[in-house]
Amino acid sequence: QEVTLRLSHWIPPTISPATKGVDPWAASVMEASEGRIEIQIFPAQQLGRAPDHYDMAKDGIVDLSWVNPGYTAGRFPIYAATELPFMVEDSIEGAKAIHEWYMEYGAEQEMSDVKVCFIHPHAPGALHTQETVTGPDGVSGKNVRPAHATMARFVSLLGGGPVQVPAPEVREALSKGTAEAVTFPWGSMYDFNLTEEVPVHLDMPFYISAQVMVMNKASYDGLSDENKAVIDDHCTPEWSGRVAAGWHEDDMAAKDKLLADDSQTFNTPSEDEVAAWREAAAPLTEEWKEAVSAKGGDADAILDAYKAKLEEYGAAY
Amino acid sequence: MQNDRTPAGHAMRRVILFLERIAGALLGLVTILIVASAIGRYGFARPLPDAFDVSRLLLGVAIGWGLASLGFHGTHIKVDLLAHGVGLRMRRWMNAFAWVVLAAFTGLMCWKIWGRVNSAMSGGDATMDLRLPHWPFFLAIWIGLMAALFTTLVRLWLIARHGTDLGEFDGIDEELLEDQKL
Amino acid sequence: MSNELIAGGGFVLLFALMAVRVPIGIAMGIVGVGGFAAVVGWTPAFNLLAQSPISTITDFNLTLIPFFVLMGVLATNSGMSSELFRAGRAWLGGFRGGLGLASVGACGGFAAICGSSVATAATMTKIAYPEMRQAGYSDKAATGIIAAGGTLGILIPPSVVLAIYGFITETDIGQLFIAGIVPGILAVLMYMLTVRFWYGRTLPAAEPFRLREAFAALRGVWAVGLLFVAVILSIYFGIVTATEAAAAGALLTAIIGLARRRLTLVTLLDSLVEALRTSVAIYVVLIGATLFGYFLAITQVPQDLTQFLTELGAGRYGTLALILLLFLIMGCFLDAMAMIILMVPIVFPVITQLGFDPIWFGIVVVMTVELGLITPPVGMNVYVINSIASRVSLPTIFRGVLPFVTVDILRLILLIVFPALVLFLPESMN
Ligand code: NA
Ligand code: NA
Repeated sequence: QEVTLRLSHWIPPTISPATKGVDPWAASVMEASEGRIEIQIFPAQQLGRAPDHYDMAKDGIVDLSWVNPGYTAGRFPIYAATELPFMVEDSIEGAKAIHEWYMEYGAEQEMSDVKVCFIHPHAPGALHTQETVTGPDGVSGKNVRPAHATMARFVSLLGGGPVQVPAPEVREALSKGTAEAVTFPWGSMYDFNLTEEVPVHLDMPFYISAQVMVMNKASYDGLSDENKAVIDDHCTPEWSGRVAAGWHEDDMAAKDKLLADDSQTFNTPSEDEVAAWREAAAPLTEEWKEAVSAKGGDADAILDAYKAKLEEYGAAY
Repeated sequence: MQNDRTPAGHAMRRVILFLERIAGALLGLVTILIVASAIGRYGFARPLPDAFDVSRLLLGVAIGWGLASLGFHGTHIKVDLLAHGVGLRMRRWMNAFAWVVLAAFTGLMCWKIWGRVNSAMSGGDATMDLRLPHWPFFLAIWIGLMAALFTTLVRLWLIARHGTDLGEFDGIDEELLEDQKL
Repeated sequence: MSNELIAGGGFVLLFALMAVRVPIGIAMGIVGVGGFAAVVGWTPAFNLLAQSPISTITDFNLTLIPFFVLMGVLATNSGMSSELFRAGRAWLGGFRGGLGLASVGACGGFAAICGSSVATAATMTKIAYPEMRQAGYSDKAATGIIAAGGTLGILIPPSVVLAIYGFITETDIGQLFIAGIVPGILAVLMYMLTVRFWYGRTLPAAEPFRLREAFAALRGVWAVGLLFVAVILSIYFGIVTATEAAAAGALLTAIIGLARRRLTLVTLLDSLVEALRTSVAIYVVLIGATLFGYFLAITQVPQDLTQFLTELGAGRYGTLALILLLFLIMGCFLDAMAMIILMVPIVFPVITQLGFDPIWFGIVVVMTVELGLITPPVGMNVYVINSIASRVSLPTIFRGVLPFVTVDILRLILLIVFPALVLFLPESMN
């Protein structure tokens, strides 16, 4: 063994993004290096709070870090395009598309002080409620726990109240009426035991939240050439697809289980309702463009490229 | 604290009390903000926008400013057992050493958090809802830390020059209680 | 140098710094950063200071600490603590040792609106000690009763220490508070029995009981009752989050104080300053403890320790006993909150792995560190009483509180044998 890399993430070590994404990736790196690289994994915010994870890699506190850019509003305006609702239908192909698009249009602008390694989204999440909601007017007057900053803005736009609580406290917030709805991936219904609290699901690819694995620049530069090659081989659009696949699989299994459960109600929006949702979300795109332009980016070109990549991979909704 | 009879100590106390009152008012403001947001959410399904981010950031500023008071008064949570068991001369050395360590740590935080202020300024970190920038809050915290560094050094000087003692943590203000007897 | 050695050296240095009066939080912070540097390097270690302290002081989940501190300060400054004692005296004064019983009752009542044990002990010393002394109580009995009663501050909700435990272990703070109610009432009863039967014969005779006075005294304590009920019921029924309940409780206390003209705008501002001072002192410990926690995590020693303890073969209760014994020993020297912050992250994985309930363990561990507040040589409550009632020596107070230490251990055993006493209330919440 030549080098030890420390990897930090902020989720429990037992849930699928860890067991089917981060852990197999790390194992593959270690195996491909023939034992030269050891990766120590520190889960569950052991080395820092979730929103600090980008800076932890940047500052060398850890070598590798699993970041949710959505936790730091305003910090990664280009990346925030991935948070726009109703864009991605297939998270596995989507991960590859986002990876290619972001390396070309965003990584150098806003994540230049780390090496971007892979993109790790969940399967498109849905809107889970206590009462039936099929169109955007259904959110008005409801307290909703949003998945990230862009969803929070969306809830506000729709006349609802975004309620900020950490993921493990969502169940409590719902059972007490602090929140009445939540945007969450399907798997979270079982991970956080929410099937009784929000048994009504709007079956449309509402949004994704895409984590990014990033690596400290100096840690990467300090590797031998053959070790660098191992890391490079593991920081590809294909690996983004592979890590996304494990999470996707578990999310879909959870959705199937919900579908088979009589106590759960699924609503599919009509075409008009889908159009209404898209229209309601239009101001988010405008706000995103403003934010990107304010930092000197060509917002239209970046967004067009994003949509084109999603189309190319057949991942667009 | 009966050990601040020096003119420098006296002037310092008044300046710090002024700062503390501003920070205390901030604490009061945050209390009202959270209650108002709860009422808005529960009664009208509309929490105050950004109540979550703004209240935690404002409270951070209040805490940052409060550090200046602790650095001066010496009312940090600490183990006084040994200090009370040794002679005055020894205790003075102990106090001086403890406050050198405190000053060093505060200085380190000032240095690194200044970097954080800068990166927040250029990085564009903002609140979730209204997208208010983080850096003015961080800057205010940093100024509080600088004040804490200054007051800690003043206390260190008072220890070295006049042999004054450190206050003890108990969280109850004697003077305030005097006129509260029923 | 091996990581085990670095971690061990870190602990030694930590205790050495704390012994020479370096603030506990600062000692943890310095050792944390230094230790992290020893494992990873100086630049990343210093960089911890760019993120972690700001994240700690701006963490929303911790904001309920200053609110509950503020609530206690406002209650004291608007005279609620004196009213509690007066009511206790009017109702319990008719028994032998009635003032002692009243002091325990008032401590319990005050604990229901104050989140800190030290503040409870300090407040009650000012109110109850002069009265007991005048009535002919020995210093030993009077201060012992208050020192023990003061520990109720962190067991009966609201509790700063329970809130920090919930924060560290990601258990529901609301449920923890509700879980503290029954053990808290049990503690009040057991303390009263101790006053009555251990000290009973040495205490002065009863005061005459006057029904009219007793009811008149009740009129004074409605505010305390209202506050406690409002805060606890809103948490129990989940109308608001624990943080919102804390803020609302503080605000309500201020409004009641202003309305009854017990507070002026000046004393209100002074109360805010006082609450801020106490809160900042707590935050410094939290800042340092977080850094120290990162250092321990990077050495991976806690994981090894967990493995060691679970493979020790001491059995579930044997391991639990070992852990609590460790807390008891450390409690002789360390501050209650600092101990929770330092030790809980290390032992919590063991506890969950052994299948103990996290809520139950929270109560048990808080009761254990409570004992540390009244055991020599370092007992914060005893120190505070000594600093206010300075004519009573430390050894006298420690001797006076000894009977209560004994019943505390009994109570601890009781709750370990019958965990339902802790758990049935929080479990009825959903
Ligand atoms: Na309490
Ligand atoms: Na002790």
